[in-house]
Amino acid sequence: MITMAVEEIVSKCRKLVEDPAYSAVREWKSSHPGAKAVGCFPVYSPVELIHAAGMLPAAVIGGGNQIEIVHADARFQSFVCSVVKSTMELGLTGQVDCFDGMVFHSICDPARNLAAVFKRNFANQMVQYLHFPQNLDSPTALPFLIDEYNRFKAYLTELAGRKISDDDLRVSISAYNRTRSLVRELYAIRAEKPHLASATECYALAVAGTRIPPQEHEALLRAALAAIENRDAKPKDRIKVIVEGSFCEQPPIDLIRAVEEAGCYIVDDDFLLGWRWFVGDVPEVGDPVEALARSYIDRSVYSSVKHDVREAKAGHLVERARALGVDAVICLSAKFCEPALFDYALYKRALKIAEIPHVSLEFEEKMWTFDNIQSQVETFVESMLFD
Amino acid sequence: MVGAGVDVGSTQTKAILLNDELQIVGRALINTGANVTRAAERAFQEALAGAGIARDRVGYIVGTGYGRYKVTFGDTQITEISCHARGASLIFPNTRTVIDIGGQDAKGIRVGEDGDVKDFVMNDKCAAGTGRFLANAAEVLGLTLDEIGELSLGATNPVRVSTVCTVFVESDVMVYMAQDKNVEDILAGLHSAIAARTVSLVRRIGIQDEVSFTGGVSRNLGMVRALEEKLGTRINVSPESHYMGAIGAAVFAVERAAKVAA
Repeated sequence: MITMAVEEIVSKCRKLVEDPAYSAVREWKSSHPGAKAVGCFPVYSPVELIHAAGMLPAAVIGGGNQIEIVHADARFQSFVCSVVKSTMELGLTGQVDCFDGMVFHSICDPARNLAAVFKRNFANQMVQYLHFPQNLDSPTALPFLIDEYNRFKAYLTELAGRKISDDDLRVSISAYNRTRSLVRELYAIRAEKPHLASATECYALAVAGTRIPPQEHEALLRAALAAIENRDAKPKDRIKVIVEGSFCEQPPIDLIRAVEEAGCYIVDDDFLLGWRWFVGDVPEVGDPVEALARSYIDRSVYSSVKHDVREAKAGHLVERARALGVDAVICLSAKFCEPALFDYALYKRALKIAEIPHVSLEFEEKMWTFDNIQSQVETFVESMLFD
Repeated sequence: MVGAGVDVGSTQTKAILLNDELQIVGRALINTGANVTRAAERAFQEALAGAGIARDRVGYIVGTGYGRYKVTFGDTQITEISCHARGASLIFPNTRTVIDIGGQDAKGIRVGEDGDVKDFVMNDKCAAGTGRFLANAAEVLGLTLDEIGELSLGATNPVRVSTVCTVFVESDVMVYMAQDKNVEDILAGLHSAIAARTVSLVRRIGIQDEVSFTGGVSRNLGMVRALEEKLGTRINVSPESHYMGAIGAAVFAVERAAKVAA
């Protein structure tokens, strides 16, 4: 058991996350000669399949505010979300050449086209695109997704140069079940006692898992959870909020802090939702590919990139807000993010009917000063505290 | 007892003193300069001196504006959106929508009957539709900001302006000048473009009567008329528009002082 203070662990996690050159992945590869790594673009990737092939899955979500975009602009239209361009930039500047494969998913048009552009530009990387079923209430959704996962599995087998047995897959499912469960625990503590763990810290702790093997992440999380339990911190006079809409392009970590410092306890969020996609554990018995596919269809969180006519997304948001007893919802979308911004119309109406105060703000991953957004959040907090 | 509001803007700092009947009893307006804290102190002292009020009669001080955290002698800081809403509400008690256009920002605020902020929207990353747009255009036309509003009202055939970009407007204006369009028509076109952009922005939070117009650009009569035309309704404008943030801050100060005393 590692004994470190929370701040130390968080700092280590932050370094992992804010590294566009993927040193952690490179180190892992050099200490496992012959082993391969696969980069995963948002939102949800079946990372267990990659891991079961003996490869390291890692998130590739653009360069955040750590890189300048100077090459990728020439490959895309201007009015598109930054993450698509910065991911291309990472490719064009060799930052993601540590990945032997890349996987993209059907989340929106820009991402779909990024997959194709990436494939054309980097012929030496296996580039795969996963089609998720859009009609989850159809009886063909499950067999379709099983087929799709098996297709992906065949490519992974070829890339890894080894078979993926059902037992391999069950072991990987178990490893990620454990880390996801620990992240849920972290979120649960924060929801109940937000003064013990800030959203900024939880973010770093959760997202670190997208750069390292699940066993290492598990160790970090256990150490952090133990340290958090023993933390001596006093609650501050802040409003409790849910932040919704940042499931793909990620806000800079300092933006999350700016929102908190403006007077909020962020008790829940959908940051990097794809790596926390399931509401409970994926079954570790039975056919593992089917277990993963079924879990996508029946055991996953609602999201702007998941079309599910069986459930109202806005209803889930309102339920969550009520269950957590939040004072307000902050819809924080990346600029140009169609899924998030279109869904705001649904959320706004539902939140208004439910009489839950809300505000809509936009961010870009490439932000270094946060005064403007901090002022807006402060104004929103003031409008709630002044009643 | 007196409440004080100090609004530290990027170019100017304003201070307002209100008595407990919320009447303005002192004011000051200075350039902010490089030292923000000193500017805040100086504005506050000048307001006191001008009104002949002693410092110990001030029960509470609220800092606002971009430099609100630098008003170190203040009791608290409140954002300018909240203060503009409160200030506009004091001057125009029936206002429910406040449009604030400054040198480089544009805001829409929906306010309740107590001057509380119900919703708001701001421009960001882009100064389109702000005072700077008009300033740049005026410069190309060889005019001052004070002249362009009135001049625009004399238009007979306003031009259509294709851009609201504060930088691109300069070349647009030059094109029209080369076409020998008259100054009044060009100016009317520019004011109309800004008004359209502003109304678009504020529509996101819903426009309810009465509408009040604050911020430096509200002193431009051409803009007032252009907005009224786009909105199809009269709008309130106050000669106190420069001080609106400081007034609102001072209202909060008076209220807080009363609570503390109670």
